[in-house]
Amino acid sequence: MTPLERVVREEWGRLVAILLAQFRRLDLVEDALAEAVASAQASWTDATTPDNPVGWIVTAARRRVLDRLRAEAMAARKEPLLAVEAAGRPKEGVMVDDGTAVDDDLLRLVLMCAHPALPPEGASALSLRLVMGIPTSDIARLFLVPEATVAARITRAKKKVVAAGIPFAIPGNDAIGERLDVVAHTAYLSFTAGYAPGSGPDLLRAELAGEALRLARVTRSLHPSVTLDLLVVLMALQHSRRDARVGTDGSLVLLADQDRDRWHHDEIADALALLRSIENGPGPSSTLGRSYHLQALVAVEHATAARPEDTRWDHIATLYAGLETLTPSPAVRVARAVAVAEAEGPRRGLALLDGVTLSGHRLPAVRGELQARAGDLDRARESLAEAVALCENEIERRHLESRRDALGT
Amino acid sequence: MRRYLMLIAHDPGGWESATAEERRLYVDGHAAFDRFVDRHGRRVSGAPLADADTATTVRHSAGRRVLTDGPFAESVEMIGGYYDVELPDLDVAIAAASLLPPAYAVEIRSVVELDPTGEQVG
Repeated sequence: MTPLERVVREEWGRLVAILLAQFRRLDLVEDALAEAVASAQASWTDATTPDNPVGWIVTAARRRVLDRLRAEAMAARKEPLLAVEAAGRPKEGVMVDDGTAVDDDLLRLVLMCAHPALPPEGASALSLRLVMGIPTSDIARLFLVPEATVAARITRAKKKVVAAGIPFAIPGNDAIGERLDVVAHTAYLSFTAGYAPGSGPDLLRAELAGEALRLARVTRSLHPSVTLDLLVVLMALQHSRRDARVGTDGSLVLLADQDRDRWHHDEIADALALLRSIENGPGPSSTLGRSYHLQALVAVEHATAARPEDTRWDHIATLYAGLETLTPSPAVRVARAVAVAEAEGPRRGLALLDGVTLSGHRLPAVRGELQARAGDLDRARESLAEAVALCENEIERRHLESRRDALGT
Repeated sequence: MRRYLMLIAHDPGGWESATAEERRLYVDGHAAFDRFVDRHGRRVSGAPLADADTATTVRHSAGRRVLTDGPFAESVEMIGGYYDVELPDLDVAIAAASLLPPAYAVEIRSVVELDPTGEQVG
């Protein structure tokens, strides 16, 4: 990675935050930064790379914003120098090397991008673009939507930030917890998008999901939040399995069939250590935080089972029962039924699915699998055929077809 | 300071069917809103509106002015009143709107300032 690539990858959010703190012009800041990076790309060589690359880019981008402000002032026939002086006076404490002030600006940016008045998919796209510096094309790849869709979401979100007056500010202590929950929800939305099976082997999508994990990590380094801690544990444990979950042909490898040597055990150890470090502190007060806690504990059960047959399914079933009490939904019921089937037998799992309705292929797929295990092959074939018909994802459909075909006719 | 219009949607008949206790909560909500806005910004104006079924809508169609009886948007909820306020940003506006009676849905809209030629200011 060149110094410039490193700055763009690791410092993009800080760069945006510094410029936004000074100029408060979301519409100008991003273009100015893109131009500054392009000019760095053209002029930096190994010998001429500046000692302070962040400072260099901020200075170059500042100059471009000032040019635009001058041009605007001219167009408005105002006295150009006066207008620029008013808009361009650096805010006190917003120097690049003043770590605390910049951290606060970065937190302001994070909270602005994940504002509850923005639609969740817009907030996710805006956070990945402005805070993490992910190119629009990569965000589109993560969410499996056309690039134009992501570009439109970002444009609309920026327009709302400016028009509605969404502040670049840190709310008071009574409100910040709730706002950090929205950041957590936004990060998890991006993360789970990266793990929705795609149309072929696409390892980059798992890497992009890792950016959502980085967003949560960066945010919790700026302000403490038990919800974000628990989300980091949950995501890190899921992310540790990324290499094992896709076969060489792009096929989906289920948890039970994964080569556990290919899990990132160092990351699992870090996540478990983080969980231990917060376990004695005050637990999460929000429903969201408590649901991440239960889901993280489920992930711990999977991550610490040396072999699939060592999985403590009775513990997992209890955790899902708790999750269902906290946030009742058909999806949680299906997950709980799977755990109960593993712990107590397929018929006990099937009983939990009576009367459940859930659109999509997941419910008939689980039902078919459990019916097959219970020896009810006719019903299993019917359920799996239904699941195949409903499944819109090529990789998952191939998996379901192979399950159905294995049952014979 | 930014200027916001808060449009209050309310089920018709909500006030008429309210008990004395519920009516007191309505009045308290508005009073809390007023105090909050006065502390953080400025009230420009605000008023309850006559029922939407007494509204008159003016449109132009094929060069002719057309009057219709009723509001321009058909919905179960109707706009029952409004506030025009100055507040620092959307977060403060949301905090203010949250103080109004919970039976309301409040739509917060930024007011756009135009210069004499019709160009947007700022």
